[in-house]
Amino acid sequence: MEANWTDPILFFIYSVAKPIASALILIFMLEVIAGPAGRGLRSFVVVGSALWTFVINGIAGLGWSILDDRERYRMLKYLYLSPSDFLTVMLGRAAARIGVGAMGAVITLVVGVVALGVPFDWNRVDFPLLVAAMALGLINVTAIGVAIAAICIQMRQEAWNYPDAFAGALFLVSGAVFPIAVLPHPVQVVALLNPLSWWMAGVREALFPAGPSSIGGASSLYASLTGRMQPGAGEIVLALLVTGAIVTLTAVLAFQASERRAKDRGLLDETTGS
Amino acid sequence: MSATTTPAAIETRSIRRVYKSKPQDVVALHGVDLDVAPGEFFGLLGPNGAGKTTLIKILTTLLLPTAGTAHVFGFDVVDETKQIRRIMNMVTGGEQSGYGMLQVREQLWMFSQFYGLGAREGWRRVDELVDAVGLTDQRRQKVSTLSTGQRQKLNFARGLLNDPWIFFLDEPTLGLDVAAARAVRELVLEWKAAVQGRTVLLTTHYMAEADELCERIAIVDHGRILAIGSPTELKHRVQAESIFRLELDRLDSGAGAVARLPGVVSATTASGDGEGAGDERQTVELNIVLRDDGALGEVVSALGGLGSHILGLRKSEPTLEDVFVELVGRGFEENGLEAGSGSQADKRQGASAATATQPEAADRDEVA
Amino acid sequence: MPPKAFAHRRAGSPQEAGQWDRRHVLATDLRAVGGRAYPRVTAMARDRSHIVFELGMPFLTTTAFVYVYRALQAPQQYVGFVVLGGAMTAFWLNVVWSMVAQLHWERDQGNLELYFTTPIDIMSILLGMALGGLVLSASRAFVIVVVASVLFGVSFAVTDWALLGGVFLLTLAAMYGLGMVLSSVFLMWGREAWHLSQMLIEPVYFVSGLNFPVGRLGLIGAVAIATIPLAVGLDAMRQLAFAGAQSFGTPPPSIEALILLVMTVVFLGIARFTLRTFERLARQEGRLTMRWQ
Repeated sequence: MEANWTDPILFFIYSVAKPIASALILIFMLEVIAGPAGRGLRSFVVVGSALWTFVINGIAGLGWSILDDRERYRMLKYLYLSPSDFLTVMLGRAAARIGVGAMGAVITLVVGVVALGVPFDWNRVDFPLLVAAMALGLINVTAIGVAIAAICIQMRQEAWNYPDAFAGALFLVSGAVFPIAVLPHPVQVVALLNPLSWWMAGVREALFPAGPSSIGGASSLYASLTGRMQPGAGEIVLALLVTGAIVTLTAVLAFQASERRAKDRGLLDETTGS
Repeated sequence: MSATTTPAAIETRSIRRVYKSKPQDVVALHGVDLDVAPGEFFGLLGPNGAGKTTLIKILTTLLLPTAGTAHVFGFDVVDETKQIRRIMNMVTGGEQSGYGMLQVREQLWMFSQFYGLGAREGWRRVDELVDAVGLTDQRRQKVSTLSTGQRQKLNFARGLLNDPWIFFLDEPTLGLDVAAARAVRELVLEWKAAVQGRTVLLTTHYMAEADELCERIAIVDHGRILAIGSPTELKHRVQAESIFRLELDRLDSGAGAVARLPGVVSATTASGDGEGAGDERQTVELNIVLRDDGALGEVVSALGGLGSHILGLRKSEPTLEDVFVELVGRGFEENGLEAGSGSQADKRQGASAATATQPEAADRDEVA
Repeated sequence: MPPKAFAHRRAGSPQEAGQWDRRHVLATDLRAVGGRAYPRVTAMARDRSHIVFELGMPFLTTTAFVYVYRALQAPQQYVGFVVLGGAMTAFWLNVVWSMVAQLHWERDQGNLELYFTTPIDIMSILLGMALGGLVLSASRAFVIVVVASVLFGVSFAVTDWALLGGVFLLTLAAMYGLGMVLSSVFLMWGREAWHLSQMLIEPVYFVSGLNFPVGRLGLIGAVAIATIPLAVGLDAMRQLAFAGAQSFGTPPPSIEALILLVMTVVFLGIARFTLRTFERLARQEGRLTMRWQ
């Protein structure tokens, strides 16, 4: 239902235009300030932007599914009544949206390498780390999407932009386009508890070993806590596993609680526009 | 009507509407001519897909006719849309419009502003209407929490905000239970009767509703008006023929065998439970239209031959259903036409009906 | 005895009642603007989630871009650019979400056909939606400008407050004019229209020079300044709010104000034409009442 691979317009919008434009905004910010000297940071920005398309699609996709089905098609109640588990249906939709995000991520990376001169060497890629980080990262993206869907069930029709807003807020504490070290220490705590930060760090480390990392660095909270400048591959995977487990569990509980409250208040077949 | 200086409330000439569709275009209206006088309660009665809603959409300026002309109180539906919108209003059955977050009063007030009522005047009018339609207790309830019947009352109140000269009601009792449907019908009649000269155009596929409310009715099918007249006039069309209701213990051969008998215009069946306390018998009600009473003997004999025993027999007055069968040559159920929505007339018909007609009746359908 | 509400009798004849003078038409259209804005404002007051999602989180997004510049050790003025961009995107998003995609949405909810049975100009409905949403957008912009300025030490250097205010209002007018044009186009299209409104977010942010001077985009920036109200408005306000900031070859604010004025007139004119044309076309094709396309 969610994956319109065959529609060239939708493919262009969600897998090309939006992710590329997002990346270009950041590249130009980099270019304006640092000029040619900042080109070494392009890989950092390109990877962050590419991975962010998963976040946008994964989070927004689930929230929109809820609102679309309830307010527009008025089908949410029927989905709910179907023999399939409601959460499972939602996860199926998330998978389709993440597929759309994957196309966007690949295209952003290709544009980064081909058009923006990001140096990339296949032979240096740490594939085990890449696979582990991607697998765990996407589970977390889905979990956050489920949490947002739980919120959207409770919201009115105008919540369309809430998933985007939430993703935007996460942008601050994910190390997507700047190192976490520049944040105030209390905010760094939030960033280090955010599995998306470890996902970004893991994928960067896998694709561009020894490149700039979003976690760690001089005067960072990470460095002061661990005494190391940046995390290793094993540490990244472990941190991703632990923080991801907490987020996933919280998301599932939130969804179940939201489902109960929706049934209690008759929200599944309510239209709420204004 | 058109000879007087006051224009007709509705005047259509050769209205035709074609919807572009694949594999072939759909002709919803085949050149409809209609005149409704100011102050009239007029009904369009027909099955689903007859073209009723298309006609009402054209008259309420939501849809352009493909050909022909239509005027509402002299205003052209194509070019004088604003003028028409100032004097009319519309309520549709099953309407789910509006904003769920708003309370009943607020939703109505919003619409009052679209008709140019001042802010205070709007609230005053809203409160009057909320009371009039019986939503006083729900006035501060969120629209999304209203029941279907309450929602339709809300729609009705919305439709009266501008005190329309002409009120279009498109299947207004669709989906309502018996009590809610009756409440809506009573509201319509009450509003219509309160001030002389108010015009109502009602579309419905509930015959009892049309019979109860309308002064004149147009029976429509497949985009054509088949007959126009008062309910009494229409029924007189089939008065010349004799209508009998027979209660049978069984009719294994169906109505078709009866319909083919000489002198029988049409025969329909409706199954029902046997009457009387504790009587659980399944019976078959056979409704037959005969050219004259003399044909009855032949029918009775034939039924005996078919193994059916007659448990009851009565001659009855024609209903609009009979008129429809006479005009169209087929029954109601297969066309989505229903006998009623809770009033007395619907009791006259069984829950399910099957119809068979004589060949010439089917031919008439082709001609129609 | 019938209820009082039913006994009300309109004076004159239907023919007279159908003829309104211009004053009556204008008054009704203006009331309709207020009427349509009402649910937006009421819903906002009732549902406080917007404080988190519409005020708090967008502020955090803006903050994230501030930290991008901080990480690059950019001059403080650039942090100001981000704050200004964050504030103006609130209004742009209001245009995209509350106007461009809205007629299409209203049709699916069954409201559109009711709007078209009322005697008002559909522009009143669009304006009402926009003004209702503007309350929230203005709050969001205010929070971003005030809180971010205090938190990140942004200092504005305004030399011409009148022109800045004028440019701001003209930017809004031009943006909402463009919103009306697009909403009329989207009225004719189906589901794709809603997806196309997504093209008005990140891609428009990029070509409008969100967070960086649009002049750095060269030809693309020039085209954006000539066609997109957000681009020209942001650039003019950037020049006016941070006196002495490098313009990167874009026109001076007074010229950009003139561009915005022309855009406003042109967009509103086109919107009036397209809304009427597409309404007629939609009536012809039966699209006003066709749902779930």
